[in-house]
Amino acid sequence: MVKSTRLWSWLLAAVLLILWEVLSVVQGWSLLVLPPPSRIAQSLWQGLASGFLWPHLGVTLFEMLAGLALGCVLGLVGGVALGEFPRWRAVLMPYVVVSQVVPKLALVPLLIMWLGFGWWPTVVVTALICFFPLLENTVTALQHVDAQQLDLFRLLRASRWQTLWRLKLPAGLPTILAGFRVAVVLSLVGAVVGEFIGASQGLGALIIAAQGSMDTPLMFAVLVLITLMGWGLYQLGVQCETWLLRRLSLPVRATSLDVSP
Amino acid sequence: MAFLELRQVAFTYPGWPPVVQGVDWTLPEGEFHCLVGRSGCGKTTWLKLAAGLLQPDAGELRLQGQALTGPTPSMGFVFQTPTLLNWLSVQDNVLLPIRLHRPVQDADVARAQALLAQMGLTPWLTQSPARLSGGQQSRVAIARALVTEPALLLMDEPFAALDAITREELQDDLAQLCQARRTSVLFVTHDMTEAVMLADRVAVMSCGRVVADVPVPLERPRRRDMRYGAQFNTLCAHLRKAMDAGQSTDALEHASADSVAVLAVSQAKGPVSW
Repeated sequence: MVKSTRLWSWLLAAVLLILWEVLSVVQGWSLLVLPPPSRIAQSLWQGLASGFLWPHLGVTLFEMLAGLALGCVLGLVGGVALGEFPRWRAVLMPYVVVSQVVPKLALVPLLIMWLGFGWWPTVVVTALICFFPLLENTVTALQHVDAQQLDLFRLLRASRWQTLWRLKLPAGLPTILAGFRVAVVLSLVGAVVGEFIGASQGLGALIIAAQGSMDTPLMFAVLVLITLMGWGLYQLGVQCETWLLRRLSLPVRATSLDVSP
Repeated sequence: MAFLELRQVAFTYPGWPPVVQGVDWTLPEGEFHCLVGRSGCGKTTWLKLAAGLLQPDAGELRLQGQALTGPTPSMGFVFQTPTLLNWLSVQDNVLLPIRLHRPVQDADVARAQALLAQMGLTPWLTQSPARLSGGQQSRVAIARALVTEPALLLMDEPFAALDAITREELQDDLAQLCQARRTSVLFVTHDMTEAVMLADRVAVMSCGRVVADVPVPLERPRRRDMRYGAQFNTLCAHLRKAMDAGQSTDALEHASADSVAVLAVSQAKGPVSW
């Protein structure tokens, strides 16, 4: 059953690609507007084989992972602080919401002024984008611990720190990891979009450069690369999550979209 | 000697009618007392007061002569549900009360393993409790409450969710363990046969009050065939009557002028089906 649905989704992709290829040749679409899949594949292959794409890929991957790491640390620490201290939450939550309402892209020019051209502004924007789901989920997880388990820890005269470390964090791990999964996806968006402005290296910068030189096949090739990268990292995140939760005998959250090959 | 003493204890959750009111009770050392009553009659609140999880609005609780202000190391508590931590192994769950306060020593591990062996759980020591059946999980929870060798054991319907046969087995285990260690036990249940099987004395509760105090003079150790004896059944019937009596006096006490009036009208018109 699963096998046949997978077969169908691959088949659908093949049909669409062939249709696209045939139509663009028959209709004589301009390469500038919509290049056929064969040209995109060729451009992608050339870029990879000549080694032209690799440094850009490396920069984006680095910015994404650095931003994700920074954002996750911020989100987790902030989430624990806000989850554990209701008074802080009341004072600080409006600021957290404001930080999410501000369009992060609009902050990039400012960040460039402060941090210079280079990878720092992109890393900071990525961190800003992906800290929020982790913070939100951590706060939620810490507030929704089973009341009876909390009573148990009170009866055993556990300290606040012990209750946090030995009960609230492990019990909340499924929720926290669900936030991490969202953060992984957002971090790639953050990195690529951050590079649109003022970066000279990275896949986002390459898209802007390809636009400048009207190299539409290269733009598509980079898009394909970004998609593959995001998909791979998402899968890696889900695998890590499942492994960790199984190991700790915690409920494994069903992924809303089953996109494994 | 009075081990746990309640004097005129009252407790009210804000915005609700009193849950526990004017309770006097004495639990002597080494005795097994049961609290029975319908759902919502204040049994669990009483137990939480005895555990120091809640502070009474009025009255006083004394444990071994000392005023009780919070949970103490000398008590073990078993909840209605096992409340185990699935990310720890069965053995680590049992050792949790020790690990929170000092490093676990070989003697502690040996004691935990002995308790689990007594409950037939040796093959599952390193497993997560998530893989155990409900009855096995309850046993782990009991072992966790006993591992610190508490002088006082507080149990809140620990067997309510189990099938009859498992429940009987666990009742036997518990009675043996507590008798061997001379543990004082306060055991909440709504099952009258369970109360008679386990208790030296039963408190019947209704609407937050103790409406009857019934001694259970059955000999110890209690055997399974006692369940079907005449004395056992007389005691169960007695408890049942005490519960019904408590219910009806409370109904009268709590009836408002309106409902009395309605009752009077309905009686005037003849029988009404309620």
